Amino acid sequence: MAKKEKKKDLNRRAFIDRGFRFSIGLGLTGLGVGLYKRSRAKEYVWQLDPAKCIQCGRCATSCIMTPSAVKCFHVYDMCGYCDLCGGYFRPEAKNLTTAAENQLCPTAAIERKFIEEPFFEYHIIEELCIGCAKCVKGCGAFGNGSLQLQVNHRLCVDCNECSIARDCPADAFERVSIDSPYIFAGFSKEENKS
Amino acid sequence: MLKLGFVKIIVFITILISVSSFLWWFTKDPVKELVASVPGMDNRPEKSAELEEIVNIGERFDEYGTQTSLLTGKWTRFRGADFDNIVKDNTPLIDNFGDAPKEIWRVELGEGHAAPVIYNGKVYILDYNEFKKRDALRCFSLETGEELWRRSYNINIKRNHGMSRTVPAITDKYLVTIGPRCHVMCTDPNNGDLLWGIDLVKEYMTEVPFWYTGQCPLIDGDLAIIAPGGSSLMIAVNLATGEIVWETPNPDNWKMSHSSIMPMTLNGKKMYVYAALGGICGVSAEGDDAGQILWKTIEFSPTVIAPSPLVLENGRIFMTAGYGAGAMLFQIKENAGKYSVEVLQKYKPKDGVASEQQTPIYYKGRMFSILPKDAAGMRNQFVCCDPNDCQTILWTSGKEDRYGLGPYIIADDKFFILNDDGTLNIAKASTTKFTLLDKAKIIDGVDAWGPLAIADGYLILRDSKTMVCLDIRKK
Repeated sequence: MAKKEKKKDLNRRAFIDRGFRFSIGLGLTGLGVGLYKRSRAKEYVWQLDPAKCIQCGRCATSCIMTPSAVKCFHVYDMCGYCDLCGGYFRPEAKNLTTAAENQLCPTAAIERKFIEEPFFEYHIIEELCIGCAKCVKGCGAFGNGSLQLQVNHRLCVDCNECSIARDCPADAFERVSIDSPYIFAGFSKEENKS
Repeated sequence: MLKLGFVKIIVFITILISVSSFLWWFTKDPVKELVASVPGMDNRPEKSAELEEIVNIGERFDEYGTQTSLLTGKWTRFRGADFDNIVKDNTPLIDNFGDAPKEIWRVELGEGHAAPVIYNGKVYILDYNEFKKRDALRCFSLETGEELWRRSYNINIKRNHGMSRTVPAITDKYLVTIGPRCHVMCTDPNNGDLLWGIDLVKEYMTEVPFWYTGQCPLIDGDLAIIAPGGSSLMIAVNLATGEIVWETPNPDNWKMSHSSIMPMTLNGKKMYVYAALGGICGVSAEGDDAGQILWKTIEFSPTVIAPSPLVLENGRIFMTAGYGAGAMLFQIKENAGKYSVEVLQKYKPKDGVASEQQTPIYYKGRMFSILPKDAAGMRNQFVCCDPNDCQTILWTSGKEDRYGLGPYIIADDKFFILNDDGTLNIAKASTTKFTLLDKAKIIDGVDAWGPLAIADGYLILRDSKTMVCLDIRKK
């Protein structure tokens, strides 16, 4: 008897009413998902993959920022702390001193400090770095590749129309999640996140 | 009146601003905040305390076992008996690994790139014991990998892209090694007895190269030939007594490189070719002028040199180095006992055959090498050229087959190429094209740079911490 009454309650009007409500709910859910996706789009930023970078030097000149928002980052875990550092010294440098004529960086943006025999630590002075990649090339050609270019997201305006990405001949720029905005060669994606 | 006063005020203010601006411009130093980059800003100390460490070369001996072997194969020094990196013992070798490489044994080593010699069923390598802080000459059985004895001495070596990186030289009676901090040691390979030792830093004011010694000793007859590059550019040591037979002056203060001495004979005159930091020279190996410099050139003098001179035919020598140095092909000419050097080709790595660490191989009239990282599109590819024109590359291994800084060797008309990720490749030793036969991952491959050694069909390879012996005999 109760079953009969329940069936009776689900009359035509109730069915249409319920269907209408369901449609509105579905629409609102779709709208929410769409808005969420759109909001997530802003959570992606441009980044340079060091594994693809060919150190062409365009990061220094193609960025709308002056100096470029692309900077050299030093991945200390990969560094050999060498006395003769291919990223610091010019290839033909005869004396391994901090004299200007021995340095590869055109803006003296790499600071070198003695740690203990025979190790030296290299530190990038962000304000001076112009992202020219000369040191990155030197380090990669001779050392472990611990000097790597990255878009510095404290400086990047995230205009979403990255002019360097357009000019990059190696197609090394890609969109990455803002949750893990840096990519360092020699490390897995999970390690880059941490 | 008011109007005139207003004008005066305007004029006065204008003059005041002008004068102030001028004074500001005149007194401002726009480069005041710039700091001159001068020597000494890295706080490098004047002298290392390590130089004063007392080292008793060969002070310790430990024996673990004995063995007799019927094997007679030999790989007696860096690049083999003929300095060409070609195995000539005619043992038929595999073309492929079949189901899996046949590993005979593996042992753990101290971090480095030192490689072994093989002599009558024994393997000798100068290792560094990180735990006990000792240079250790270790002798193993080739067939079992069992360690037979060890001759060592205490010395403090810090990790710096590895520690050990030389290959000994061996004869029936003598075994000569050079340690990371330039300690030369001569022992009896049969029982490990110490014969003599020389501390090159103390005796010859040698400057230890970056990342430690890479020079492999040369045994020539009864002499050990070493290039200290300090107060003497080159020395000859009597193997039996350890006495210095001759010394080569070093007026240009050239320094020790990672390159090794290569012998050469030109118009019947035997000489030793050495690429020091500063220049390349030929030193007389015999006669009244033994030990004297016959010729030298500073045309090719990079900051770091790892490959050794590749002596070609008719007095030609190919020399290459990494770090953007490229390569140079040059000709030694002799006229009435006078020698001269003519540069034939000199170029950057993207413009021809070059190498960063390994010495190229000359085989069947062709030269083979792996191009360095800075060789543009052909980087890390295995390439072939006519050594008369090192800037024209005849063929490459292609984009799919790139190799790193690992070693390669020719045996049984095949290339055995170890990628520095630990993958061993077998390719036809063809002069016409690259044909890869097989490849297999052997070891983890962190910096698998140490030269390969083959004797009696056993191949020994290593990465930074592990040495592996493979049976590559064809069944």
